[in-house]
Amino acid sequence: MKVKVYTRYFYLFTLLIVLVLLFSFLDLYFGSVKIPLRDVFSILLSAESEKASWVNILYEFRLPKLFTALLTGSALAVAGLQMQTIFRNPLAGPYVLGISAGASLGVAILVMGFSSVIVFTGISFMGNWAIVSAAWIGSALVLFLIFIISLRVRDIMTILILGILLGSAIAAFVSILQYFSDESMLKTFIVWTMGSLGGVTKSQLLVLTPGIIIGLIISLLSGKILNVLLLGESYAASMGLNVKLARFVIFISTSMLAGSVTAFCGPIGFVGIAVPHIARMVFRTANHNILLWGTLLLGALLMLIGDIISQLPGSQNTLPINAVTALLGIPIVIWLIIKNQKLSSLM
Amino acid sequence: MNKDNKYIISLDNVSIGYNKAKPVLSNINQKAGKGELIAVVGSNGTGKSTLLRSIAKLQDTLSGNILLKGKKLDLWTRTELAQNISFVSTELTNVNNLKVIDLISLGRFSYTNWQGKLKENDKNVINKSIKKTGLENYKNRFFNNLSDGEKQRVMIARSLSQDTDLIILDEPTAFLDLPNKYNIVNLLFELTRTENKTIIFSIHDLNIAIKEVDKIWLINNNKIYEGSPEDLILNNTFSNIFANRNLSFNVKTGEFKSPVNADKDICIRGRGISYEWTKKAMERLRFTTECNKNTKIIVEVIDMDKKTEWHISNKENKYVCKSIYELSLILREIIKS
Repeated sequence: MKVKVYTRYFYLFTLLIVLVLLFSFLDLYFGSVKIPLRDVFSILLSAESEKASWVNILYEFRLPKLFTALLTGSALAVAGLQMQTIFRNPLAGPYVLGISAGASLGVAILVMGFSSVIVFTGISFMGNWAIVSAAWIGSALVLFLIFIISLRVRDIMTILILGILLGSAIAAFVSILQYFSDESMLKTFIVWTMGSLGGVTKSQLLVLTPGIIIGLIISLLSGKILNVLLLGESYAASMGLNVKLARFVIFISTSMLAGSVTAFCGPIGFVGIAVPHIARMVFRTANHNILLWGTLLLGALLMLIGDIISQLPGSQNTLPINAVTALLGIPIVIWLIIKNQKLSSLM
Repeated sequence: MNKDNKYIISLDNVSIGYNKAKPVLSNINQKAGKGELIAVVGSNGTGKSTLLRSIAKLQDTLSGNILLKGKKLDLWTRTELAQNISFVSTELTNVNNLKVIDLISLGRFSYTNWQGKLKENDKNVINKSIKKTGLENYKNRFFNNLSDGEKQRVMIARSLSQDTDLIILDEPTAFLDLPNKYNIVNLLFELTRTENKTIIFSIHDLNIAIKEVDKIWLINNNKIYEGSPEDLILNNTFSNIFANRNLSFNVKTGEFKSPVNADKDICIRGRGISYEWTKKAMERLRFTTECNKNTKIIVEVIDMDKKTEWHISNKENKYVCKSIYELSLILREIIKS
């Protein structure tokens, strides 16, 4: 019985890894400039091609975008799984702590709060590092608030509700800023909220990657904690878990994961909510030592598919990634809800 | 060491609650010995849960000391506590995709390494817990597909796999039907005898508690009365407490009764089981069955070969009934007129 289960996991993981590799390759292949398959291969292997521009496109644009997609997909999915488990709520996601709201506040203040002169000289001087830093500062402030709350509040549900309320309050503040800002600023901000994988440069990848890798390592090591949290915090405490420390560890890794993604790519929705459910359905287990890895791979896969769709293969246009992930993720969540009839049976 | 050591848990002038100025309960000085089954009873809001959660150190006390095996709770490490006290709550947790055996294995949390890898000894304890709770055939089923009674049994198995001397259960039978209530309490009794566990649990059903436990902690008016069920009956603790609640406590049977209307008396004649149940039925219908000189209504229970008949007579009339239900309908008519 047990052996059978483990071989099933083995096959599933092998299949997922193969699919991620396959879609990674497709992600490199599709784009507004058509590069023949053979050349994609040879450029990857030797970094040389008859057309120098193709090498450039692959190395300067598509490869960074591929890595960004892999990192953000797995980061958001794993962060979502952690939040669903700790809050015991199937609709929780990486942003329930108010991370994206905080980031958007930071960006909104940067883009719309200052006079346009400062912003445009600032943005041209620092590239989009300015936006990245603003998003970082914004989400860090919100997280700091949530941490203080979580040290004082006993009931985890209270934290969930406070997180949502805080997020809404910030959104209201951001909409006031939007109301009073001029068109060009508004557009800069709106474009940021739509998310983008392609905007991450090679040098930014050097900051994004370690942030997410550290977050993922913390998550992957906390499988045992998440397992015992399935029964709720009271039970977990009675079985010897240091609940406040566990909250701290999980919030830290979630903020590293979701915070990094939001800072560099904008808020990307629904991957974090949908993927953990897909992982539970595929692996049919509640064991986080399996689920975390499954969620990580499925998250990367879903983001790759999203990115390929957003490239609109065969056309010159691209779609905003946030819209694509929402359109991919929402039907999955709806289907899961209808299939299970009630939300509480999802987790 | 001191003599408190023979107690698993002893409370030393403890007050509990959420607000120092208004403690839920104070001056608690209860003790629990090894292998004892203790029921905490009392009305809603008297502090049963608070007491149990305080003993399990899931919440802090306001003042006083709780000693586990003679040592203050605060001096034990988190892991040591988890290996000495386990807790089962009234809430029936909902977790999808979680197999019974995996849930029970969670009890080994404080014994395993950071990965939660189960060693040979862990597996032995888990298997023993499954056996003790009679869950062998449920091992590989999903927890969510179980009935409420089965779920609670699994949660108890999980607390067993935690391998603690003390198990605390907060209303483990609250959501269960009557047979399951008895089942669970009986299981707890067995565990105190075969495993020498000390078990403290709260329960609303006093009738079950009276029949099964070694000791009752009865909470009333911010005081805890303690004793074996029989002691509490004999020293009239129950009767006194329930006297002013429109409920009477029958000292003879140890059961609660609704108040009776003394001027509705009935004479029952007969014998055997039919007689006993007729008597119970009359009490249910708020009649007394004293049968004195002034009693006007007489019911004769007549057992025949295959059936029973009830003959009612009062001054004016005579009736024959074929069932207690029919009897009750006619009695209502008589009373009305």
